[in-house]
Amino acid sequence: MKKILIVDDEQDIVESLKFVLEVSGFVCYTAFNGEDGLRLAKEIMPDLIILDVMMPKINGYKISRLLKYDNKYKDIPIIMVTARSQLEDKAIGEETGVNEYITKPFELDVIVKKVEEYLKED
Amino acid sequence: MTKFLLISEDSEKERIVKETFSSDEVITSIDEMMIFDTLKVEEPEIVILDGDITSLELKPLCRKIKQFPVVILLIVGDVRHNKDVTHNVNLFIKTPLDKKLLAATIEASMQTRQSLMKMTKANQELARSLYQLNVLYNTSSQLAGTLDKDKLLKIMVEGIEKSLNFELACTLMFRSEREPVLIINSLYKISDRLLEALKLRAILSYKSLLSDPPFDIKIGNLKIEKNIKHNVKEYDFSVLRYDNLFAPITSNDEFFGFTEIYREKQFTTEDATCFQTLVQQVTIPLQSASFTQELKTTNRKLQKLERLKSEFISIVSHELRTPLTAIKNAMDIILSGKAGDMTENIEKFVSMGKRNAIRLSGIINDLLDISKIEAGKMDFKFELTHIEPVIEYVKNNLTVVAKEKDLTLKFSPSTDSPEIYADSNRLEQVLTNLVSNAIKFSPSAGIIEITSKVVNARELQYDHCFEEDIKKLQGNYLQVCVEDQGIGIERKDLNHVFDKFAQIENSLSRQVGGSGLGLPIARQLMESHNGAIWCDSELNKGSRFYFVIPIANDKSNFNMIKKQIIQKARSNGGTAALINIKSTNSIIESLMKEENLLNKTYLSNSLIEKEGEMTTLSMVILDGDKPACEFLKKKIDTITGQKENVYGKCDIMYSYEIEGDVHEKDSYSR
Repeated sequence: MKKILIVDDEQDIVESLKFVLEVSGFVCYTAFNGEDGLRLAKEIMPDLIILDVMMPKINGYKISRLLKYDNKYKDIPIIMVTARSQLEDKAIGEETGVNEYITKPFELDVIVKKVEEYLKED
Repeated sequence: MTKFLLISEDSEKERIVKETFSSDEVITSIDEMMIFDTLKVEEPEIVILDGDITSLELKPLCRKIKQFPVVILLIVGDVRHNKDVTHNVNLFIKTPLDKKLLAATIEASMQTRQSLMKMTKANQELARSLYQLNVLYNTSSQLAGTLDKDKLLKIMVEGIEKSLNFELACTLMFRSEREPVLIINSLYKISDRLLEALKLRAILSYKSLLSDPPFDIKIGNLKIEKNIKHNVKEYDFSVLRYDNLFAPITSNDEFFGFTEIYREKQFTTEDATCFQTLVQQVTIPLQSASFTQELKTTNRKLQKLERLKSEFISIVSHELRTPLTAIKNAMDIILSGKAGDMTENIEKFVSMGKRNAIRLSGIINDLLDISKIEAGKMDFKFELTHIEPVIEYVKNNLTVVAKEKDLTLKFSPSTDSPEIYADSNRLEQVLTNLVSNAIKFSPSAGIIEITSKVVNARELQYDHCFEEDIKKLQGNYLQVCVEDQGIGIERKDLNHVFDKFAQIENSLSRQVGGSGLGLPIARQLMESHNGAIWCDSELNKGSRFYFVIPIANDKSNFNMIKKQIIQKARSNGGTAALINIKSTNSIIESLMKEENLLNKTYLSNSLIEKEGEMTTLSMVILDGDKPACEFLKKKIDTITGQKENVYGKCDIMYSYEIEGDVHEKDSYSR
């Protein structure tokens, strides 16, 4: 079973994402701040990470950068989810190596489809 | 009474003189020191000089005495004098002295002297007035050169000092609204108690000048600035008994302060006039200065507000969207059936919730859009594109919604499909809004038709209330029309549908809901595209909403060029210059002139040859074909490379790069 790590400080969002992904047959791990997220990512080596940008302690861009510049983790696909939608933010996201950039409010189906797409490629 | 100075050793002569002028004062002396002291202190009108005097040398004595405003009468006696002596006296009389002759001579000379004195005085006054006028002129030209309050007052006080030679000047002014300052310009130091007295006096004057002072000045909050010229002496209370002139510095209803000067010597009426004029001279620039200050402050406040607003919007958008996402997610899960079975009613009400969450998110997006547009922060991705895919996309997107009301969406594309320069996403947004509105405001069953065609601005037909927006258009446009068979809009409301938050009373809109921002946003977006949006309608029959976008590469359309140049020049902060290389294009030039952006037009490379010229410009447009422009660009680069900063920060723009340029591109496209 594929492991997905969801990192977002909005617990309700994490909860709903976890639910639909588990229904679709994935194993989900969750973290509610950047620090835990980063630690968990290294610990469990997930197959995909869903990452929020604005979070306490370490923000999503930083996590993405830290993982993408590390040979050990750089192949883990990252889907960035955020309320920010300005073009420049998107540019930062791309620069830090995220694979997908989805702005809130998003459709759960869209996320599930994206996740399935990435994990099928493997 | 006349004062005489008699210089004679002869007691006989002294007796005769004294007898002749018995009612007057006669001072006798033969001591040179004493003679001049008398001249200085006693200021005699007439000096009677005995030519037979032996103890003094006559010639130099005469010369010296002549420097005083006196009549010199020489008594010619036994000693013969050369012409030098007689030359330097005004009158002479021979011995033996005849009393009658002496008296007559003196009387005549006195009259002459009086008229002479008058003339001298008039001359002096004239010179003085001329000088004052000169100072006035210089001062007012200096005043015109600055908008700094402090400098203005300094110039004024200097002007007053030059023309009036005051000893002490006190000027009350306000640094800011609540910061009164008393500026003291003094020839000598001032004692502490005099300073206190001046402060009190200033406060009293302030209170008496303003019947209803907006601000109470107290000793404690009155700042003092002293400019002392010499430290050798100290003024005390006695200064306050000097002659003084006072003038408030006011204009219309604004009070800037006042100024008061003290001088031991009495001021004349001319002095007073000069003083008043100088003070008046300062009011206009002071007023401008305070306006400028006010504008600056307001501007700063506005900028701050603008920033706060942006921050607020960004925070709100994040904070509102996140919980909204959570709400939608939860309802999505329920509706997907993954959370378990649901009854028909559960589905109905959760759907209701979801529908409204989506609506709310639409309203938030609208709010964000309008605030971004208003702040000029809307991101556009302009590119050459076509309208058909946009219309198809919107049509496909909304077909489901339309079907719910049994409405048919029709799209009849025009035969020709011109390229437009636009942001497709924004066009989608505008069209989605128009079609959604058409769906909202249509009763069940009917047709909503979308058409597109090329039109010329002159052929457009519209209600006069849209004239402002449409009359700017020139040339050829792509027009899109959304026509419905809905409830329609009353004529008087036609224009208002594009106003912010203006939902029309008694219409369906209240029931249908919405942010009320869709059409204002559409209007702004069209404006950013150099297009226009308008509508016409018949109540209960239907409405037609039109929008037009300029056709790219349309030779008769200059709005694009204009927009680009203006935006670029403005963002650089001001003026631009145009270099005509092989000028074929007067359009750019005339456009820039119209917008007051064009400083200078240069032919060929006269601009880059003039050092420092480019530092005054924010942008240079090279107008000509590509090879010529590139040649010139190389030249500019070489020079700017050699001498950094000589040319300042100056953007270079090429007319051939300007979208919609009227040049024949074909001539150099290979």
